[in-house]
Amino acid sequence: MSWSGHYLDGRSAERRRATAQVTASGLEIITEDGAVRQWPFAQIRQTQGRYAGEPVRLERGGAAAESLIVEDVGLLTALRQATNGPRGRFHDPRRRRLRAPLTLGAGLAAVGLALGLYVWGIPTLAAATAHLVPTAWETRLGDEIYRRLVRPEDRCGDPERQRAIDAIVARLTEAGGTGAYRLQVTVVDWPQFNALALPGGQIVVMRGLLDRTDSAEMLAGVLAHEAQHILRRHTTRAVIQHASTALMVAAIAGDVSGLAAFALEGARAVAALSYSRQAEAEADAEGLRMLLRARIDPTPMIAFFDRVVREEDLEEPNEGLRRYLTTHPANRERVARLRSLAAGAPAGARLLAGADWAEIKRICGG
Amino acid sequence: MLLVEAVPSSVAPAVAGPHRLRFHGRASSLFGIHIVNVFFTLLTLGLYYFWAKARVRRYVFGQTEFDGDRFLFEGRGLEMLLGFVKAVVVFGLPLAALNYVPPFLEVGRAVTVATSLAAYGLVLVLIPVARSGARRYRLSRTSWRGIRLSFRGRTLEFVRVFVGGALLSAITLGLYYPAFVVRNHGFLTRHSYVGGARFDFDGRGPDLLVDFLYAVLLTLPTLGLVWFWFVAAKRRYLWQHTRLGEARFQSTITGGRLLRLKLGNLALIVVTLGLGWPLASVRTARFLCRHIWLEGALDAAAIRQEIQTATATGEGLLGLFEADLDMG
Repeated sequence: MSWSGHYLDGRSAERRRATAQVTASGLEIITEDGAVRQWPFAQIRQTQGRYAGEPVRLERGGAAAESLIVEDVGLLTALRQATNGPRGRFHDPRRRRLRAPLTLGAGLAAVGLALGLYVWGIPTLAAATAHLVPTAWETRLGDEIYRRLVRPEDRCGDPERQRAIDAIVARLTEAGGTGAYRLQVTVVDWPQFNALALPGGQIVVMRGLLDRTDSAEMLAGVLAHEAQHILRRHTTRAVIQHASTALMVAAIAGDVSGLAAFALEGARAVAALSYSRQAEAEADAEGLRMLLRARIDPTPMIAFFDRVVREEDLEEPNEGLRRYLTTHPANRERVARLRSLAAGAPAGARLLAGADWAEIKRICGG
Repeated sequence: MLLVEAVPSSVAPAVAGPHRLRFHGRASSLFGIHIVNVFFTLLTLGLYYFWAKARVRRYVFGQTEFDGDRFLFEGRGLEMLLGFVKAVVVFGLPLAALNYVPPFLEVGRAVTVATSLAAYGLVLVLIPVARSGARRYRLSRTSWRGIRLSFRGRTLEFVRVFVGGALLSAITLGLYYPAFVVRNHGFLTRHSYVGGARFDFDGRGPDLLVDFLYAVLLTLPTLGLVWFWFVAAKRRYLWQHTRLGEARFQSTITGGRLLRLKLGNLALIVVTLGLGWPLASVRTARFLCRHIWLEGALDAAAIRQEIQTATATGEGLLGLFEADLDMG
């Protein structure tokens, strides 16, 4: 049995018609000019011809290898029979039939792996790595997200009222516990009932939420809660988790490049991030402790959360509230836990004594 | 025993064109490769990415035929991984240091600004280093008819061409941009070889300026679609000024065809949530093979083997900067 194809000598790009046959010791190749070449089995390797329609390419030699190209995959079968040698050196054309089921299996396994990573792997990884990120990186990341999220014209920057809000932050942090973080609160002129913490120390309070607070203590409660998300690195963890998920999706969709772009894309979606129930409980408890350390009366904070819970029970919570609830799931249990934690705490000194909260709330004008 | 026809002479004359490209690849095979790649990439938490890249490239090159013979890609996942690691250590870390360390040290504003500028400058220099390095790697691992391809341009020289052109483009508010593109391409082409046969490029910088100005002027009225025609004109121009020995490349890429291809691919990818990219890749490869060919005498016997070495560092560096716009 002989196979026809063509032969390349590895020295020039000229191709010669050739026939080949399998002998006891190797492959005998006869080119159209009559030259005969013997390729011992041990020196032959296959470099192409694993896919349907792809000719078989056999090579012999080092960098400037000679090649034999034959269309018929029967040559591979003959070589396998003749060598009976190490498996995998020559592709077995019969194994192509296995390819479809194996690919299907790999596909199903990939779906399983992806789900496992999403549900368990990535959250675990994010929790473990969030604590390894230097604070300076967190700050930089937070600043970058802030820059993308908040347009300068949306910022409510009335200096007088901002000073009052900064005073609340100063009260919260003067008892320590903030480590290397410098907390910075910005009010933005958005109607949503929400506040969000960015990695590194930025807290963005939306006008919709500020409007609904009755006192400086209520805002302090919200700030203490958000500050804990920063200090406990919940936000950083959420950003890592989001970016890793985006990366995984990209890997599945076939484009794994532009890592930085994906990371930032993930960062931009930070506004829609939600924390785990456990992270929320932690921020509640630690936020409350932060208030107590700062000698701020926790009752208004609890009243505020209570109000959120009550309104949730109403038939139709308004759109802004609904959004707050999806990112800050509130429930009676949480309020009850806060009450028990706060029991017996001294009332504390008034925040911003003598100032008119209704007046400060108008930081966005109007 | 086998009887062999006697052929009078093995000295084949140079064969006149057209020398066509053909793409044999099938989306189903590429999809299968991709599924398996996804599986291993997830299993290894991303490490397999480099092997995946090698497999896709090996398939795509192996399915691309020029003048009756397929290309062979012999790059390896491990060397691409090592190239990437080396690129991160040698180039990525200094870049990250320039970007992140000054704010961390709380040095003065002037120092921060200076290091940021240095970082931008470094990126401007590293992009041509990456592009020429990646080309050097890819060509060195590619062969046709058993003859290795190579890129032999000196990296520093390309950095000079690229950085100079980029600065000139900025100074002239973009007027120099078309010449910048042509000169970069010219440099990369003129230093590319099949064996000992060098590609040549005889395009001149200013030739694309008129097309470019048209495109700029018509951007608003055509909602930007005119750029498809500019890109097509650019590609035709670049190919038609590329020669291999006596032969010259030809191209029939037009704006309309390019627009159809790209819109089709976009629709495919959007509708399939990204899973359709193997089909999009196959469509692109078929398109390129149909609309680019080599015209004129090609003397295969005169293309002699000459082997150049290359590492995968440039390939890894390019991975840090830009998406793989080429196939695989």
